[in-house]
Amino acid sequence: MRASEPALEVRAVGKRYGATVALEDVSFTLRAGEVCGLLGENGAGKSTLVKVLSGVVVPDSGEMWIGGTAYRPRNITDARTHGVATAFQELSLVPTLSVAVNLSLPHPAGSRFGLVRLRRLEEEAARILHTYGVADVHPGALVGELSLGVRQRIEIVRAMMRAPRVLLLDEPTSALSDREWLFALISRALDGGTSVLYISHKLDEIRRICHRCVVLRNGRKVLDSAVAVLSDAEIFSSMAGRSLVEAFPVASSTVQPGPPALSVKNLSAEGIADVDFTLARGEILGVAGLEGQGQSSLFRALAGLLPLRDGSIEVAGRRQIFRSPRAARRAGVVLVPEDRKEEGIFKDLTALANISLPIIGECHRLRFINRRAERARVEEVIPIVELAERYLPQNIEALSGGNQQKAVLARALIAGARCLLLFDPTRGVDVGAKQSIYRLIRRFAEEGGAVLFYSTELDELVHLCDRCLVIYRNRIAGELSRAALSQERILAIASGHSLPQSAQPEPFAENSVTAR
Amino acid sequence: MSAISLRQRLPEGLGIPLIVFASTAFLVAVIKLISPGSVLAQQIEAILVTAIFLVIASFGQGLAILLGGIDLSIGVVMGLAGMMISGLTNGADAALGWAVPATLASCAAIGVFNGLGIALAGIPPFIMTLASGSIFFGVGLGFTAGAAQRPVAPALQKLMSGHFFGLPLPVLLLAAFALAAMAFQNGSVEGRRLYAIGSNAKAARIVGLPIYPLTVAVYGISGLCAGIAGVLLAGYASAATLDMGDPFLMPTIAAVVIGGARVTGGRGLYLGTFAGALFLSVLETIITVLSLSQGLRDIIEGAIIVIALLLQTAPAKKRY
Amino acid sequence: MKIAVKIGRALGGGAPFATVVCLVMYAVYAARAPSALSIFGITNVLNDAVVLAIGSAGLTLVILAGEFDLSGVGVIAIANVLVATTSGASGFGALGSLALVLAIGLLVGTVNGVLVAFFQLQSLAATIGTMIACEGVALLILPAPGGEVSDKIATGLTGDLAGVIPVALLILGGFAAAWFVFKRTSLGVAIYATGADAQAARLSGIDLRRTRLAAFMLAGLCYAFAGYMLSAETGTGDPRVSSALLLFMYAAVAIGGTSLSGGKGGVFGSLVGAGILTVLQKMLFALGVAEFYTNIFNGIVMIFALLFGNIVSSLAGPLRRQVAK
Repeated sequence: MRASEPALEVRAVGKRYGATVALEDVSFTLRAGEVCGLLGENGAGKSTLVKVLSGVVVPDSGEMWIGGTAYRPRNITDARTHGVATAFQELSLVPTLSVAVNLSLPHPAGSRFGLVRLRRLEEEAARILHTYGVADVHPGALVGELSLGVRQRIEIVRAMMRAPRVLLLDEPTSALSDREWLFALISRALDGGTSVLYISHKLDEIRRICHRCVVLRNGRKVLDSAVAVLSDAEIFSSMAGRSLVEAFPVASSTVQPGPPALSVKNLSAEGIADVDFTLARGEILGVAGLEGQGQSSLFRALAGLLPLRDGSIEVAGRRQIFRSPRAARRAGVVLVPEDRKEEGIFKDLTALANISLPIIGECHRLRFINRRAERARVEEVIPIVELAERYLPQNIEALSGGNQQKAVLARALIAGARCLLLFDPTRGVDVGAKQSIYRLIRRFAEEGGAVLFYSTELDELVHLCDRCLVIYRNRIAGELSRAALSQERILAIASGHSLPQSAQPEPFAENSVTAR
Repeated sequence: MSAISLRQRLPEGLGIPLIVFASTAFLVAVIKLISPGSVLAQQIEAILVTAIFLVIASFGQGLAILLGGIDLSIGVVMGLAGMMISGLTNGADAALGWAVPATLASCAAIGVFNGLGIALAGIPPFIMTLASGSIFFGVGLGFTAGAAQRPVAPALQKLMSGHFFGLPLPVLLLAAFALAAMAFQNGSVEGRRLYAIGSNAKAARIVGLPIYPLTVAVYGISGLCAGIAGVLLAGYASAATLDMGDPFLMPTIAAVVIGGARVTGGRGLYLGTFAGALFLSVLETIITVLSLSQGLRDIIEGAIIVIALLLQTAPAKKRY
Repeated sequence: MKIAVKIGRALGGGAPFATVVCLVMYAVYAARAPSALSIFGITNVLNDAVVLAIGSAGLTLVILAGEFDLSGVGVIAIANVLVATTSGASGFGALGSLALVLAIGLLVGTVNGVLVAFFQLQSLAATIGTMIACEGVALLILPAPGGEVSDKIATGLTGDLAGVIPVALLILGGFAAAWFVFKRTSLGVAIYATGADAQAARLSGIDLRRTRLAAFMLAGLCYAFAGYMLSAETGTGDPRVSSALLLFMYAAVAIGGTSLSGGKGGVFGSLVGAGILTVLQKMLFALGVAEFYTNIFNGIVMIFALLFGNIVSSLAGPLRRQVAK
């Protein structure tokens, strides 16, 4: 590590969205020539920080310095002229344009008349791709036709090809199968004088390439230290704000899973293939997988949002075909969707109206809403999700993420769910609400409900689930029983290393504990 | 009734309708100023009578906009309804008994056709309704081309000029319609579901709301309302032409937007639309009193839509 | 195969199919009205098509950028009455009125663009407002149909060069050529990118506001020129441009294979789409279909154009995803 003046300095940066605090008083330094890891759970503020640094979002307060001069980017191009380049997690490539054009955005290099000369762009792109070891991609191919992994490579190449002073890599391995490719590029960039801020969930990656790491929790910096002196447990607990074990309700081994509630045979749909499992009443079945392995398709297919290509779904022993979420709900299968803002809440309605929607058709006099009956029905379920009654008349948009999620869960309960499909229900939720959600899941299962539970936080799966399915490349790659459940094993299967059937822990070449 | 449940009963966003009502009152005062000779009560009565077409037609427009859509066939449907009612009754009151239901059913059917195209075929609402407007204008032209103008049934004319306990019948109708419309939009189960769909269609699908049937129903209601407005307009004018609804189309949109509804759906009260419709009717009267040209009238209307949109987005932007 | 794909892509999606449809309909028309094959007949059809073609070309730019624009008919109306009142000997002459008209088009486009790009108004609602206001302005300038368009414009733009090449064809050819050049500019790429995926475009460094503003401004220019051509064709001013033209413009865009959700398609397709709609009218007329049916046909064609587009894209969707794997 070279000790010299900082490449990037962030001082007391803050950003809020309405009632939600995304970043508060965050300060840190990226030294020249180092790789600094940025860690945190979902919703901890990592993405907001990346957006602030790359000029997409203007912070409310604080200041930033690059190489000793003030840095106030107004947009992406502005950030680039200051030598900051970003590979975004959500991928910033335009799907309908070719790889070559995408690499050349925002101003495709032209001839004298300002015209885009495709052939020259493609030649140039081919050269660049070759330099960065992505030679197997044709520069004329449309980005939308490429696999997610290839797109992520191109996203990374696009950030690196400008030889930036500061390189931001936001979850750069979420779809990558070959991490060594990236690590080689990073060390090459370091040699070229670039400093890297490496945002990741994965502890092993942080250990492998980062000198230092910064941990964010609820928008604040809670840890800033050299990686080598930290234990995994220390990093985990600073990310989660609790020690690993105490946070979860005691696993109740007393409840024995009952008869099958949901059984899936040979299910195939777009993005998911040959899924078989049985979920018993009283059971919490986990689903694990790295980003984009088909878990979303699985949940959508089970909830009637995605037509099946093949296979069957049986609910409580009866075969069902869900043509819509309506049909699924009638059978007692209810989805709590992934993206709360886009698919969960109705931002123009009160929390009360959000919760009562599924049963509003039952609370009426001559089709006019009987508000007393509505309120009574809602008050039955809100204690279960631990949502305070005073939030009910408020517009749901004014509530914190945790309370919004509680309302969405209350809606699933009021709909009469006997089988809950929870897709990452603790994303962007504060610690207190997480506890409520854990208790709800337990209680729901103990009372005979069945839960299918996907989470990006592996420790949640390890501590809450009775069993866990691991998805890899659109198929179930393995199943771990309660006894065999550990983050290491989940991760091994999730990244394509199958465990032997005996489910014995396998020694790994690298430390593969992750914080995800 | 406790404070909480009162607040719960009062729908959010009452501010904009109240401001619009206040502006309307101000405009009425302006009328008194610019034509001191007129009797205010009579003026107001006249305004209310002529406002009824807009008040009724813009309810359907408001529902379509609540779902994030728009209905551009309202003008044509109004004209068709007028032509149908005069053609079917041919000046005979006896025929009204079946002619009115037949006319309104046809208008609702046009709306259902719109709704089916939008919900099932996924055609953008403004194009679907523009296209069906063209289609049914053609149908109307086909039926009436060459046919002589037929008189409107006298009973309908009496309805629009009659009084009940000293109040003009149309004003009573207007009040009854507004109350019913408000009750439906902000008090009924279906109304609540419409707000939910307009607010977030994806989430509505996951919750399992009947999106398709409600979409079809909304455009059906819009057609029905346009039909009612057209029938009344024919009675008011004692005659009907195929294009008599055209001047009402853009004002229906303006009324909804002025009333504070969000054009992308999910927000807006019928009270606002009602206030907007009254506001536009008063404005229309002022323009007539000042004998301003049609051109200026259009410019004012266009400017009002844009200004109302700007006022809506200004506070929304501040929040972020 | 690969070449065919490339040509298809260059022409912009559904354009090849639309071109074939257009030619087939023209053949039907010509079979009924043999004069259609004479230079006079062709000029006639092109003159009918050119207004719609240029108007929908402008609209296409806005739609490609992912927005809607209803103000086109308003601008065309203003342009028409301005030409009818100012192009004569006592006014600014042919070129002067062209400059004036283009300036107005640019102004309206700028207003639309600023409202949508900078104030973030929903484009449909905002342009409804500007459309009504524009129609009002047109009525103020010329309250009743009348006025006179200078002969230079009326005969100059509707005739043919040396009895061989219709002027309208030159103009259309010019527009097509300008489009193929424009597509290759940074702005052209930015418009496609914005319409396809605004978020990704922004993260790629494209200035969304400037791109949207530019799309609306260019569209305003196109509408104004379309209004100029309309004046040349009718030789008189009429403040009330048929609202059917609005429907036709969208129909031409949809038939030409441009996705109404933005990012896919192109101006060339819209030019062909305008041709199809014009030839359709001619064909129906030649087949003796009564005038009121054409309204019905227009509506149905519009709905089918969109249905067809939806079906094609829903068929193409899974195919594309297959490729992605």
